[in-house]
Formats: sequence, C-alpha cells, structure tokens
Amino acid sequence: MAKVLVVDDEPNIVLSLEFLMQQAGFDVTTALDGESALALVNENPPDLVLLDISLPGISGFEVLEQLRNQPSFKRLPIVMLTAHGREVEREKGLALGADDYITKPFSTRQLVEKVQTLLNESSPNSQEN
Amino acid sequence: MPARHKLLSLWLLLSGITLFAGLFCAAWLESQIQPTGNLRIVIWGASLASALLVFLLGLILEVRLMRPLRHLQVQVARMAANPDAKDDYPAEGWLEILQPDLNLLRQGWRQDRGLLTDARIQGAKDAARIRQELEALLQVLKLPLLLCDHHQRLLLFNPAAEELFADNPALGLGRRLQELLPAPSLIDALQNLPKDGSARQLLLPHQNRWYLCDLRRVVASQGEALLILEDTTERQQSDIRWRKPLSTLLPALRGHAANLATAGELLSNGGTTAELNQRLQLAMQEDSQALSGLINELAKLLETLHLDQGQLTDTWSNDLWQALTPSLNQLEINLTPIGIPLWLKADTPSLLSLLQRLLLLLTEVTGEKAFEAEIQLGNNRAYLDLIWHGKPLHLKLLKEWSELPLANEEISPRLGDILRRHSSDWWSLADANKAFARLRIPLPAATRVYPPLPTLEARPEFHDFSIADLPPPTNELGQLALNQLELVVFDTETTGLELRKGDKVISIGACRIINGRLLSQEVFDQKVNPGRSIPPASTKIHGLVDADVDKSPPMSVVLPHFRKFVGNGVLVAHNAAFDLLAVTLEGAETGIEFTMPVLDTLLLSRGLDKNLEGHGLDALAKRFQLTFPPNTRHTALGDAQVTAELLLALLPRLEARGIYTLQDALALQNTVLNSNH
Repeated sequence: MAKVLVVDDEPNIVLSLEFLMQQAGFDVTTALDGESALALVNENPPDLVLLDISLPGISGFEVLEQLRNQPSFKRLPIVMLTAHGREVEREKGLALGADDYITKPFSTRQLVEKVQTLLNESSPNSQEN
Repeated sequence: MPARHKLLSLWLLLSGITLFAGLFCAAWLESQIQPTGNLRIVIWGASLASALLVFLLGLILEVRLMRPLRHLQVQVARMAANPDAKDDYPAEGWLEILQPDLNLLRQGWRQDRGLLTDARIQGAKDAARIRQELEALLQVLKLPLLLCDHHQRLLLFNPAAEELFADNPALGLGRRLQELLPAPSLIDALQNLPKDGSARQLLLPHQNRWYLCDLRRVVASQGEALLILEDTTERQQSDIRWRKPLSTLLPALRGHAANLATAGELLSNGGTTAELNQRLQLAMQEDSQALSGLINELAKLLETLHLDQGQLTDTWSNDLWQALTPSLNQLEINLTPIGIPLWLKADTPSLLSLLQRLLLLLTEVTGEKAFEAEIQLGNNRAYLDLIWHGKPLHLKLLKEWSELPLANEEISPRLGDILRRHSSDWWSLADANKAFARLRIPLPAATRVYPPLPTLEARPEFHDFSIADLPPPTNELGQLALNQLELVVFDTETTGLELRKGDKVISIGACRIINGRLLSQEVFDQKVNPGRSIPPASTKIHGLVDADVDKSPPMSVVLPHFRKFVGNGVLVAHNAAFDLLAVTLEGAETGIEFTMPVLDTLLLSRGLDKNLEGHGLDALAKRFQLTFPPNTRHTALGDAQVTAELLLALLPRLEARGIYTLQDALALQNTVLNSNH
C-alpha cells in the first residue's frame, strides 16, 4: 500500500485529506508543521508528499528545498498545496522541484487522480518500463 | 546648346574657314604665278596669317575674358547662394582690374550679413533664454503635449508626444493636426474652444488606441490651442479585462453558494428521504466543485487587477542597468548585463534600491564582486536574474533578507515589501552546468516590444512658433511663396537605373523644410527589402549589400509610411524624374499616389545658370561649398539633406530673378524641360 504524507497547518483540511486518501487506498500519515514533516519523512519515508506552502516555522518551500537537497528524496513525488493561487508561487514551487501544484479549493477527484498518476510514474515498475 | 558651346563652335568654324580660304588663296597664287624663294614663303605666310590671327584672337579672348567671366559668374552665384563660403575665385585676365571693387563688395556683403546676424542674435537673446527654459521644461514633462495654430498646424510638440506617436510619421512641425489625429470631432472641438482658456475633453479613437485629449485655447494668443494627450488604451482594456468577467463571476458565485446553503439547511433539518439525501449530496458536490473553479478564476482576475492598477511603469531593462551602474561603481561591484534587453513593468526607484541592496548582500555572502544580469521573457513575466559564479542561496537566507529594511530608517519598506509591490517573490537556482547560480525575481512583463527611442539631443527642434505667421493652407499651393512652402526633400537608392525593367528601391531618405528652415530632427530614413539581389555595380555607388536590407520591410510596407511623412508637403528631389518614378511605380502596386507638385533642383539649377556646366549634385555641392557630414553622400538621407541645402541656397537666387512662388518655380522648370527637348 503506497504511503502518503499530508502536511498542512489546517486540522480540517488534514482530516479531509486523510479520509480522502485512505478511501483511495493509501496509507496516510499527517504533519501540522514543516519541522515535524521533515522528521516524519526521514523516519518513515513516504511514497508521496502533499505539502502546504503556508506552514508555521519553516515554510512549505523550505521543506521542499531541504528534501530536494537530500539525494534520497530527489525523486520523491511532492505536490504543493496553496490557498493563494498566485502564478509566481506556482513558478517558484516548480522551480524548486515540486512535481505539481494544486490551488485550494481543489476538486477531490482531481487530487486523487493526480496522486495516483504521480505514484504510478515514480513506482519502480514504471521506471523499468 | 549652351551659349559657351555656341561661341566655341563659331570660333572653330571661323578659324577653319579662314584656314581653308588661306590655303585656297595660296594654292591659287601658286598655280598662277609659280613663285619661288622668298616670294613663295611670303605668299603662303600671308595666306595663312588670317587663320592664325582668328585662332589666336579667339584663344586670347577665351583666356583673358571668357574664362574670367565664367569664374566671376560662379563667384557671384556662390556669394548669393552661400555667402559664408570660404573660397573665392580671384578676378583674372582683363577682369583683374575689378578685383579691388570686387573685394570691397564681397567684404561689405559679408560685413552687412555679419552685422545683421549680430543684431538678430542680440535681439533674440532674451527670447532664446525663455525658449530654453521652456524647452527644458517640455523635455522633462511626461505628458504628451501639442500646440497648434488656428489653422491646426503643429507649432510645438514635446518628447513625450514624440514617444506617444513614435510609429506615426505624421507628427512634425507645420503638419496639420488632422493628419496625425484624423477625427472630425477633434477639429470641431478645436474650432469651438472657449476663448477664456477653459478646457474641453475628448476621447479619440485612432489606430486601435484610445487617446484622452484635453484641449484648451492659449489665452492672449492668435487662436493657438494646447492639446494634452493621454493614451488610455491600457486603462480601458484593463477595465474590460476585469469588469466584464467580474460581472459574470459574482452572480455565478452567489448562485452556487445559495444552492449549497439550501442543501446544507435541508440536510441539517432532517426528515428527508434517503433518495432526496442522495440527490442533495450530489448537488452539493457539483456546487462545491463549481465554486472551486469560480474561486480560481476570481483569484486570477484579482492578480491581473493588482498588476494593472499598481504603480508600475514600463521600464527598459538597459535603462535599469544603466541607472544602477554609478552606485555599483562606488561599491566596486561589477554588473554585466547579458542577453536581449526587454521591457518590464516596475516601480523603478524601489526596484533599483532593491537591486543595489541585493547585490551588496550577494557580495557579502558569495564573496564575488562580479555579477551578470539577465532578463528573460517567461509566461507574461520577465525574469530578472542576478548571476554569480558559485552555488545557489538557501530559501532560509532569502526569507531573512526579505525581512531586511531597504534603508536604515524606521519607515523604510522591507525588501519583501518591494517584491510584493511587484506581485513577485524570489528564489535561487543553479544553472545546468552547476558552475553558476542565479537569484531570480519574476516581474510583470510589459506589452511593449520595440526599444525606446534614442535620447534626443539637448536642444531638438520641436517647436517653431513662426509657423503661425504663415499664410493659411489653401488649395492654391501655386500662389504660395517658395520660402513659405512645406517641402519634403527626398532621395532613393535603387538596385540599378532600369526602374521600368525591374530595378527596385532599397532605401528612401527624406527631410523636411518648413518656413525656409531645414528641420534636422524630422527625417525619414528607411532601408527597403527589394525582393531581389543588389548588383555589385550598384553597391559600388551606395555601399549597400543584400545583408543590409534583408531584414528591412518591403516597399509595400514602407511606402504608406513614406506617404504619411510627405503629408501635404511639396516634393523636392535632384533629378526628380528618377526618384519620383521609383516611388510611383511601387505606388501603382499599393494604390498610393504622389499627385503633389514636384520641384527638381537639377532643373532649377539649369534654369538659373544656363551658361554653366555641371549640374550634378556633387558639382553643385562643390560650386556652392555646401557642407555635409562625412560618409553621408550617396546614402538616401544624406543626399536628400544635401539636396535640401542646395534648394535653400538656390532660393535667394530664384527670388532675385523674380521667381517667388511655387508656380513661378514650376514654370522655370518647364522652360528648362522644353529647351532640352
């Protein structure tokens, strides 16, 4: 079962995403800030991270940067989530190495589809192909 | 045949007749008396003496009288055409006796002119000072401004107006306003402006742009009117860009929100059937998805609105780097701009402070003193990159920097505030080769494409109040004095001389004479792609090769611009038949006509100096000692300017012969043409 880490400082969103991902058949862990997200990734590496930009302490961008600086997480699929939806944030996220970018509010169906596509692309089987 | 040639022919004829008559006479005497010894020598000598006498007399007359007379004619013409010419022909031969009187006349003529010039300079000194102040003020004024007389002829325009109408060749001193802005409402408004100087406003559409025009009569003037223009196209479009979508988005948002609220209320009240519950849930799902989409659209719209309404102005990237250089030099930081310059939208003063501060911080962190700066065009954005040799910066550091104040003052904005003012952010990334890193700041891109106009000289000719004293523009051009005409002097360079056999124009140059004054700033200078190769023989003349014109527009594009530049002016060219044919042949294909009268300096010069030879542009430039910048001859614009100087030199000489009006000049041209035929 693929492991998904949900990082957001909004407990309601975390709850919804956890439920949504579990329904889609993923093993979900959650974090409410950047530091604990980094700790969780290192402790129990997930297969995909849903990462909010506005986090208390270190921002989602910094979490992304730190993960990409670690060779083992260079290919870890990371989807950025934001409530701002500014074009420049999207560009910054993609420039720093995010795989995709989703603006809140988002369609749950599209989110699940995106997560599944990214996991398929990064799975060892698809890489072999 | 010129008179000199007639005289020469007569002389040679007389010499020939007397020679043959002498020979005949000597031969007859020889046969009759069969002389010998000295008698024979005397008979032959006496018979041929008359021929020798005629020949020698002619030679003496040519050297001692005719040639000095021709030189005197050139000297007098030069004095009239170009009184300041340096070189003089000394009086020669039998005219040598005139030298002291000639010197006296020449000296007196130049002295009088000098005195006149001094008097004019003295008299105009105060006016010039006021004018200079006015010019300085107009130069820096950002509002495009036009001043026209009561015939709607332009008396003044400022650099801002020049920038606004950069692509419009109808902007020029003395040109009619309706050529520039052909709107009947504008002409009506100008004719009915209140005399007390109160303003009227008009919104004028022209060439896909909207100009907000503020008009007022200049109080205590001869009906002159001041126009202040504002290009409101962007504002109008920006209004359309957000007002219309907003008016459709809001009702849709309200609708879906209301649906959600109703469904939520029904579900929370309870008592609904399982089937209804399912339908309500489905409806809620659909509405919330629609709401998400609408909110995304709204967010994009707000971002556009923010960019449109900010205090951001179009800035040319090279100007930005140039403005930054002096302060960086003091800090011994070397910034080299690379790549293609671009327009971007920026709050330039704050962006300059930000960049200066950033480069200092980068120097501290990276230890580098040399940076490169590059602007790249992205999706509606211009990426401003500062590049150094080394590694990219961490976001943590950039976050700290964004909290730093711009200056050491309490009220100073933070670096992050400047970024937000540009709806921007920053990040650092490594180049593909990993040797270089860059700090990227995305900025809103401007819609402009072409580089800014070159900086104007300190005192450009953008006003001429004497135009208001010219007679009203009428259809009776022929009655106008030559020095009151609007003249457009032009020249073309072509691939060859066989225009009717396919030779094409490769360059057009033109300049304008208003009120007897050549306007140095008002020029038309355009290379043309002829759509065929340039033969080496013609390259020898004008120096242009295929590569010089490859990227130039074709004549079908250039000719309408040239026609607009000509406006209502009278065309002038040297050997106008050729240049006129060059443009009319092309005009026939594009439907552009040149039906105005045409003056030809070649014909005018022939008409004035029938007895002199050499009426080519080079010969005349030499004769009248016309000055022109080096390497400008045999370029279209250079030749047009020399032709203009030539015409101005001929004007006083034409007047001295009673040729005052355009009609008179055209009549003189016709006489020359008829005598040639």
